[in-house]
Parts: sequence; C-alpha cells; structure tokens
Amino acid sequence: MTEKKDMYEKNKQVSAEAPNQQEEELDSSAPTRTLWGDAWNRLRKNKLAIIAIVWIIFMVILALSADLWVPQTLGKPNAQIYDVRLPMSAKHPFGTDQLGRDVLSRVIYGARISLAVGVLATAISTVIGLVMGAIAAYYGGIWDTIIMRLADIFLAFPYTLFVIAMLAVIGPGIQNVFIAIGILGWPSIARVFRSAILTVKENDYVDAARSMGASDLRIITRHIFPNSVASIVVYATMNIGGAILTESALSYLGMGVVPPDPSWGSLIEAGQTYLSTEPWLMIMPGLAILTTVLAFTLLGDGLRDALDVKMKDA
Amino acid sequence: MGKYILKRVLQFIPVFLGVTLILFALENIVPGDPIKLMAGEKKLDPQTELNLRATYHLIETDSNGKPVRDSNGKTIPTPMWKRYVLYVNGLLHGDLGTSYQRKGQSVASILADKYPYTIRLSIVAIIIEAVVGIGAGMVSALKRYSFWDILVTLVTSIMVAMPAYWLGMLLQLFFGVFLKNATGGAFYLPISGAVGPGAEFDDWVYYILPAITLAAVSTAYTARIMRSQLLEVMNQDYIRTARAKGLSRRDVIWHHALKNALIPVVTYIGIDFGGMMAGAILTETVFNWPGVGYETYRAITQRDWPIVMGSVTVIVVVVMVINLIVDISYAFLDPRIRYGAGKND
Repeated sequence: MTEKKDMYEKNKQVSAEAPNQQEEELDSSAPTRTLWGDAWNRLRKNKLAIIAIVWIIFMVILALSADLWVPQTLGKPNAQIYDVRLPMSAKHPFGTDQLGRDVLSRVIYGARISLAVGVLATAISTVIGLVMGAIAAYYGGIWDTIIMRLADIFLAFPYTLFVIAMLAVIGPGIQNVFIAIGILGWPSIARVFRSAILTVKENDYVDAARSMGASDLRIITRHIFPNSVASIVVYATMNIGGAILTESALSYLGMGVVPPDPSWGSLIEAGQTYLSTEPWLMIMPGLAILTTVLAFTLLGDGLRDALDVKMKDA
Repeated sequence: MGKYILKRVLQFIPVFLGVTLILFALENIVPGDPIKLMAGEKKLDPQTELNLRATYHLIETDSNGKPVRDSNGKTIPTPMWKRYVLYVNGLLHGDLGTSYQRKGQSVASILADKYPYTIRLSIVAIIIEAVVGIGAGMVSALKRYSFWDILVTLVTSIMVAMPAYWLGMLLQLFFGVFLKNATGGAFYLPISGAVGPGAEFDDWVYYILPAITLAAVSTAYTARIMRSQLLEVMNQDYIRTARAKGLSRRDVIWHHALKNALIPVVTYIGIDFGGMMAGAILTETVFNWPGVGYETYRAITQRDWPIVMGSVTVIVVVVMVINLIVDISYAFLDPRIRYGAGKND
C-alpha cells in the first residue's frame, strides 16, 4: 500500500509540474529528472493508459460519492421499491431488479465493494509478499528454501478452490473476502520481489552502504526497496484487476458479500435467473467488471512500458 | 536428465505433504461436527453414531475396529496428528477416504464419476485454445498493425478482463435464447448439462458453449504469446538468412519461424491443460456441468471434507505431473535447454 501511495503522490506532484515541462519536451531532449518524472512523461503519451486512469478515477469518485447523490435508500437493504424488473429507461438506465430496486444504484454501490476488495486485497498480498520476498532474497540460504517451498505449496493449490475453502473456514462476508484473497495472493508478489532484490543486491552501492555500517533493515528499505519498487507497482496494479475478478466470482458463487449488499458478482448471479427475459440485469454489472478490470490491466501495461519493467514472473 | 526428473519428483513430496497438511488443518478449524452434519435433522442413535465415528477414525479404536474407552467408559478422540498419519497412509495405499454425506460412497468412486466430464471438456477447450489462439496470434504477428492485428489485440484484452462465467452467460443468451427466437426454434445450442435427457441434441453439442467459455481467457493469452514470439523470431538473423537465400516468406514462416515460435506457446498450453484438470468451478456452475470442480465446490459448502481433501490431493498431483511432463518435453523441443546441468531449476 505504501508504495502505491508513494507512486500516486509522486505522480500528483509531477502532474502539477507537467504543464511547464511540456515546452521543454517539445524540443525533444527533456532533461532526465526522477524515475517517476520520466515514467509519467512516457505514460502521458500512452492514450490507452490515460483513458484507463480517467476511467479508474471516475469509478473511484462514483463509489466514494454514492451516498451523496444516489438517493440514500436505493442501494440499501430498505431500498425504495419500484415495479419489479422494469426495462431500461431514462428513470432507470439499467432497469430494476426482481425486488424492484434500481440496478444502476446497485451497480454504483457494487463499485465500492469491488474497488475496495481490489485495492485492499492487493495491499495485503503486497505487504506479505514484500516481507517474504525480502527475507528470502536478502538472507538466502535456509530462509530462501523455506519461503520459496511454502510459495510452491500455495501455488500448487487450485486457486479458486483454495479461496473457497478458506472462506468456508473463516465464513463468508466482505472482510473475510479481503483476507482470503489477500493472504492467498502473496506467493507471486514474493517471487517478483525476490527476483528484483536478487538483481539489485549485487550492485556496488549496496556493498558500499554495508561497508559504512548500515543495518540490514536500512539497506532493504533505503537502497533495495526504492530500486525494485517499479516492478512491484506494475505487478500490484495488474493484481488489482485480478482481485476484482476473484471477488466477483466468489460473490457470484454466493461465498462473497452477504445480501442485500450489492456486489457486481452477486448482481450477475441475481440477474442470471432472468437471462432470457431481462438480460440487462446480468449484462450491466458484467460490463462494470469488464471495463474496470480492463482499465487496471491497461494502466498496468502502461506503467510497465513507462517504468521499463521486465515482467519475468507474471 | 534422469537426475533432473528425480529431483523434480522428490520436490513433489514436500508440496504434497504441505498441501494435505493445510487442507487437514482447514478441516479441523472449520466449525461443525461432521457426524452431526451427516445426520442432518434426524437424531442418530448412539450406537450408530459411535460406529460412524470409529469408521471415520474420529475416535481411537482397537485392532478390531471397536472403540477404545478410557477408565470412565468414555471414548477417546483421535489426536489430529494421528488422523493425519492415517489419512496419508490411506493415500499411499490408494485409499482417498469415504464421503461423509454421500452414504459412505468412496471418494475415489465419486471422482471417477466426475473426472471424465472434466477431462473431456478440457480436451475440447484445449483444442479450441490451440487452434484459435495460435491462428489469431499468427495473423496478428504476420500482418502487424493491420486491421486484424488491432482486432486481435482488442479482443484479447477484453477477454482477459472479462469474468469467464459472465461470458458463459452471454453465450447462453446469444446461442440459447436469441438464436432460438430468431430462427423460430430451428437452430440453437444447449445451454446446460452434459447429456441430453430426451436426446434432443447429440452429446457433443453440449460441449460447445462450456468449452468456449473455459477456453476464452487462455485463448487470449495463447494468441498474445504467439504474437510476441513470432514477432521476435521473425527478427532473428537466421530468418533473414533464409530469406536472403531466396526462400519465399511463406516457406520461411512455415519451416523456420513457426517451429521456434511455437515452443513457449506449446508450453503455455500444456500448463494450462494442467490448470483445467483442476476443474472449472465457474464454467461448471454456469453450465450445470457435472465435473470435478463443481463437485469439490459443493463438497466445501456442505463440509464434506473427505471429498475436498481427496479431490484437491488428486488435482494437485495431476497438475504437478502435467507440469513436469511439460518441462521435460520443453527440453526435447528446445535443445538449448539442458536441465540438470548448472542451476537451471
């Protein structure tokens, strides 16, 4: 989470400076500034990535502000009731569901859950993965063997079944979905971070820092982490989309959010019954998932190109 | 090579033990007493309950299978480690255990019922994935930046971002509902089940939509890998040399480029086939397909842990074996790769 925040903050700073830089850029030899400054300059030229960013920001604003302008009752258990299964109209752009609730409102409230799961589960996986990867790569030897074998065991499980089994143990509900997806996602991040550290570790400046008496923790946080953060940012961005898909699948199977809370997956599940008569009930939430996941993938692709990260393990 | 295979097979052991141990721990954390769940609403008479507990090794038994009682005449619950040892011992003797809820049916026989459906569906899906994925990737690479290339890139991006079960429903909507209405019922595809109850369709027709759904995401990845591999290979010196010798572009592509470009693609498809062996819970749920994924999911929700343990164990072993076969065949396909020599694991 921290490194994502860092990235956003740095991006924000850079984008604030951006207008001035544009002129410099026109004479083709923009001076090299920071890693993130350069990356942002490259990212800006990637139209797809910009569209993706705009879409993600739009969804985030929609999700955060829902309580302010979507009539309070609509997404809630005591939703205002209209006629059931109304077709799409100006008043109900996505129609109404089998209980007479406005589907657009439910999709907007669903964005909250999906985005929250995507970001929080990724944050949990990233933190665990970073710690495990750092220990494995930095200390090597027996630690490396133990952690990487543990990662193998986790990766050997059929993923969806593992998440479901985990939820069967800790019970359904949205917090548990964060936890289950988050905990089970660490091995791939640990692998990415481990290989990133192994590359960085060989650099002379790490030896220099050690010879000056820097502690292990300081070397990891001040020297190794900043130099391998690019690959983690890219990986985490792409992981958010994956987590959103997993959450939707769990909710579709009835293992995720508890009704009447709306999630995109559970909306699709509810709409499935009326597939032949009111298909929009299931199409609209699916489109929400598709566009959001696509946006995170495109942003991840854009960041990968902009930061010049080679994805080996993805 | 032999050394490498041995090493890989030995690596199965910790993974296998780890997986079973984690599952075993999950089973023991999960709330609810399996024997009570088995009985459901009814009350079991004490003797039956005792016998059941003894059969499932939930309490200590003597060599005749009779429950052992302590000095107070109470039965002794079997400690967890002992049950784990018994379970692994059973596995090594080919005994996957017995279902709690399916009237004492053995897990092996349940899996033997379900696996054929999973395997057949996976084979159809893999064929779709290979043909469509490799074809689309080739077109995309050979006509780079053309309309077709952009189309393939667009479609694969969308496929990867789409929930597979949602795609399944869209297919049901189009081929099952829309086409049926549009043709007045003359032509449509079955949207659920694996065989026709009244033989309305031939059996193979039931495979079309689930197989497309199952293959969709991997087909997109296959196309992408194929595209980037072929582009990379086409840029290499030996291709230029072949062209310079006067071979036609067509010959160069078919006889020189494809062979090398296909290696990573075939590997991906092989590993994906291993993944499909795990069953496709979502596809199977959408299409009401009687495969191993849905069965395992059902068992998890019903706390029928012997089935969960058995099927996940089988799945993990099958997946590991397929991955090993893929890795070994990789070395045959690409002589540059030498396992066992140096640090190449």
